[in-house]
Amino acid sequence: MRHVLRLLSVLAVLALGLAPAQETYVTFNADGSITIRLLTDDETVTFAPGELGNLVGPGLQPYAGKTITVTTNSGGVMGGISGPIYQVRPAWEELTGAKLNIVEIPLGEAFPQVFADLQLGTGQFDGFIVGADWYGDLVEGDFVVPVDTYFDNPGFPTWDRSGFPPSLQTLYTWGGRWYGTLNDSDGQVLYYRRDILTDPAIQAEYQAATGRALVVPPPTWDDVLSIARFLNGRDLNGDGEGDSGVVLHLKVNAQGLFHFISLAVPFVVTRPNQPFWFDPDTMDPIINSPGHVRALEFLIELSQYGPAAQVGWDLGEGWDYFLRGRAAFVFSWGDVGSLVQIPERSDIKGKLGASILPGVREVYDTASGQFVAVDPPNVVGNTTGGSWHGMISVLTPNPDVVYHLWATQATRSFSLWNVRQGWTGVDPGMAWHFVPPYGNASLEAYLSQGWNADDIVEYHRAYRDNYFAPLNLSFLRIPGAFEYRQSLDQNLSKAESGQLTPQEALDLTFAQWQETTDRLGRDRQRAIYRASLGLE
Amino acid sequence: MQKSPIKYVFLLPAVLWVLAFTIFPLIYSLRISFYNIRLGRNVSAIWVGLHNFARVFTDSRVQESVVVTLVLLVTTVTAQLVLGIALAVLFNRHLPGRSLLRTLMTTPLFATPVAVGLLFLTIYYEEGGFINSILPWKIPWISHPQWALVGVGLVEIWQWTPFCFLVFLAALQSLPDELYEAARLDTSSGWRVFRSLTLPMLQPVVILVLLLRLTEGLKVFDIPWGLTGGGPGTATQTYSMFTYRAGFRHFDFGYSSALGYVMLIAEMIVITFFFKRMRQVYE
Amino acid sequence: MTTGRNATLTAVGTSAVTRRVVRQWRQVGIVLLAFLATAVAGFPVYWALSMSLRRPADTFTVTGLGVPFLQYRPTLENWRTELSVAETYHALLNSTGIAVATTVLALLLGVPAAYALARFRFHLIKNKDIVTWFLSQRVLPPVVTVLPFYLIMRTLHLLDTQAALIIANTTFNLPFAVVILRQTFLDLPLELEEAALVDGATPFSTFWHVARPLAQPAIMAAGLIILAFTWNEFLFALTIGRLDAITLPVRIAGTAYSVRGVQFWYVSTQALLAIIPPTVLALLAQRYVVRGLTLGAVKG
Repeated sequence: MRHVLRLLSVLAVLALGLAPAQETYVTFNADGSITIRLLTDDETVTFAPGELGNLVGPGLQPYAGKTITVTTNSGGVMGGISGPIYQVRPAWEELTGAKLNIVEIPLGEAFPQVFADLQLGTGQFDGFIVGADWYGDLVEGDFVVPVDTYFDNPGFPTWDRSGFPPSLQTLYTWGGRWYGTLNDSDGQVLYYRRDILTDPAIQAEYQAATGRALVVPPPTWDDVLSIARFLNGRDLNGDGEGDSGVVLHLKVNAQGLFHFISLAVPFVVTRPNQPFWFDPDTMDPIINSPGHVRALEFLIELSQYGPAAQVGWDLGEGWDYFLRGRAAFVFSWGDVGSLVQIPERSDIKGKLGASILPGVREVYDTASGQFVAVDPPNVVGNTTGGSWHGMISVLTPNPDVVYHLWATQATRSFSLWNVRQGWTGVDPGMAWHFVPPYGNASLEAYLSQGWNADDIVEYHRAYRDNYFAPLNLSFLRIPGAFEYRQSLDQNLSKAESGQLTPQEALDLTFAQWQETTDRLGRDRQRAIYRASLGLE
Repeated sequence: MQKSPIKYVFLLPAVLWVLAFTIFPLIYSLRISFYNIRLGRNVSAIWVGLHNFARVFTDSRVQESVVVTLVLLVTTVTAQLVLGIALAVLFNRHLPGRSLLRTLMTTPLFATPVAVGLLFLTIYYEEGGFINSILPWKIPWISHPQWALVGVGLVEIWQWTPFCFLVFLAALQSLPDELYEAARLDTSSGWRVFRSLTLPMLQPVVILVLLLRLTEGLKVFDIPWGLTGGGPGTATQTYSMFTYRAGFRHFDFGYSSALGYVMLIAEMIVITFFFKRMRQVYE
Repeated sequence: MTTGRNATLTAVGTSAVTRRVVRQWRQVGIVLLAFLATAVAGFPVYWALSMSLRRPADTFTVTGLGVPFLQYRPTLENWRTELSVAETYHALLNSTGIAVATTVLALLLGVPAAYALARFRFHLIKNKDIVTWFLSQRVLPPVVTVLPFYLIMRTLHLLDTQAALIIANTTFNLPFAVVILRQTFLDLPLELEEAALVDGATPFSTFWHVARPLAQPAIMAAGLIILAFTWNEFLFALTIGRLDAITLPVRIAGTAYSVRGVQFWYVSTQALLAIIPPTVLALLAQRYVVRGLTLGAVKG
């Protein structure tokens, strides 16, 4: 027992000795602007005069003595989505006098934990970083506070809603009201190795081998497949080993299903607000339609030209593979583009190409039950992912304090800082995030953060095209979204690992979804689904 | 001494504590298992009778998880016992630095299982991770349904073999030396000594360890949670994981309770079958 | 005759040499096997250390044994980052507090109960049946009780408190303590206690001053095991402790299942923080642990 005590006291001493010391993080400049220092980066962000609202200023601490607790995705101090909150915390606490507790919740647990807190009335959390698919449960349950009441209040930090593409604005609002404050924009785009696809020698060889021209960026999924097949097994990073045509992150109970969702949309959706998930009249799933099945068959065929291990890979492993130059294609979130720029993580800086996800030349037509040819290819944008952003709990005694924090994160200055960093997991989506000619952000500011000038233009073009695309995926935002998605995800993974055929996997999903809908109440689900599509 | 009322003061707090925190939850969960609970603006609990129990027996995900759990249980426990005995016999000899080696052998015993599961993600990494870089083949440790099960099983074996080893070693060392000397003189084959002498004498301990490992193994949750998340598909999703997901991810409280109860009842049947034996060994 | 005899002798001589050689090689083989087994057992902890010293880019590029300095330039960056946030200490302190409190509480309740079951006879329900009942608690799958326990803790307003986790862990570990310590008390010689009683000591002081000190090693063993089990407990901690009562395993799982994938470099750092304390304890008290783990049925 004496050993135990000794060990504990050593731990305690360590804990005390290493605890961070007190410092100042805020500078009030003469011109009224405010410069804050971030937690670990030795970086600063300067806010324009008045940008942070008139509640804060020299000698003012409007929320002294108050404490709020917010949830965020797990990831730690330098992790995606959670990192920026840690980074801004010391300065924000100094500015407002409030104390901020950050609760990290693993991705799969995030919604259940927050929902349980609200449903059981515990009220432990004052605010949350939510995924866009939580809206059905949270707003329809009256669990969150709209934020548009704060918009004209000069006390609070101001943030710019003018740059929102309609596809993203939908995700931050419900029934015409704003519930979210700008933070992340999520959507998948196609990334490729520009250096390889535009290499004349490779282009000539490709033409000779396949009889068609190598168009960059590839306009259809069939082109991607054909190029991936052609490049698979070649050495793409000069290490003497064969590399892969493509890499995917298909791990189950993580975010594997998003690959299928973003890829499948153009196979099925040809007009705005066309349902992708359920028949809005009967609430019967349409997830096993011939279009969906063909998309899954295609995804599995494409995955043959990637490493077998990707079935068990989460984003980190999949991205790492692409960043090390071991795959020619990946289709994924905005993080890839910014991670490519970080020398500690990537070997392919300056070699990045990006575009909106390709289209298809044959689309499933629900009315006729046939596949019909389309020209030009049917291209559809997507907002798959969380588009993680702040919301305010209806149970908090301090909604103002929570809003102040979220609005600080949403300010133009902080948001721009966020999207310029590779590691923050906050991806660009606003018109003012993009560099010319796609937006009006300063190219120099990006370059000074270490971006490659060619890479950033590719990257911003891809995202501008994606979010502002005329056709966009309708997001599944109804109650139980989490459960629906989990059963889809598990069944997709079964198909991808060869345990079920695509048809079987989606038929099984159909049956499980029916069960869930019946359990949750078909009429209520139908009403909310229709509302989420803007049908009523 | 027999009459002293103090015996109740000694015993009752412990009994009441365990009663309070197991019986009440069990009654509560039995009640919930007859309801469909819908969350949302208005929480509703709809009496559904035995419907949740009926679901347990028709849900293909349950059947898969039962298979996964049983396959893991049987293979890992067998391997742990066999390896445990083999290592105990090995370490029961004169070895240089035996006590140091034995100490290191126990490292896995109390290593936080969920952390271990996650660590093995990198050890199993298929594109040049530790194991695949020293093997001549590329083994799909996580991405292939059957290999993933093997992967989870090996971590379970890694973690719990030292337990069996320690127990068997202790048992071996408590065996009288004279018997061995006699046996050695009698026959030259080490294997025959092992078969005819060591194993029979170890038998009670083996059965005890078997029972302990079987009941613990049924609970398996942390390691697949960290390592595979139950995938690919549901290839490594254990019964405990599925029950947890039904309750805390889908908020299907009634179903989750029914799943728990079915497991409990199944286990009770097996245990009562085994319990006489267990008690005999234990007493 | 003579030649024959010589021949026999030679044969015996050769086979003795052969046997000695065989035996030596066998000994070498056995030693190698033992080293190999030990290396396998200890490897993941070394691996965690190696991973925690790598830059993110080295995570998957370093192959083989991943020896720092030889295969990559180690960095303390991950440790620095991990140790610079209050949340890490918070989780460490919670894990420690919950484990220590559970241990104390389980022993406080368990030692007297074990003694009572070893030394007194109960009539309403037989001692044997009470022990069996305690034993059966160990079998109860935690996933069966986690949901109702969660709902009950919510009614008691104890969600996300250390108290809730201390209650839960005490409930799991108390039966274990009772069962193994009862066996210990049974194995103690009765004469000393009888002598004390004859000298006029009360049953309590007999227990406290005579029996308990004799059982001290076993009590310590039980305590250590409870401490380690509680430290490692994941399911209840995951559901009940989130913020105020977050424990180290939950924090690790959190870092792992981040929205941007597993951050192996932090996970390995945290994994070491989690693994080291219980492992060190187990190494220190190995002698007792065997006995504890087998519910007292095997003497370590």
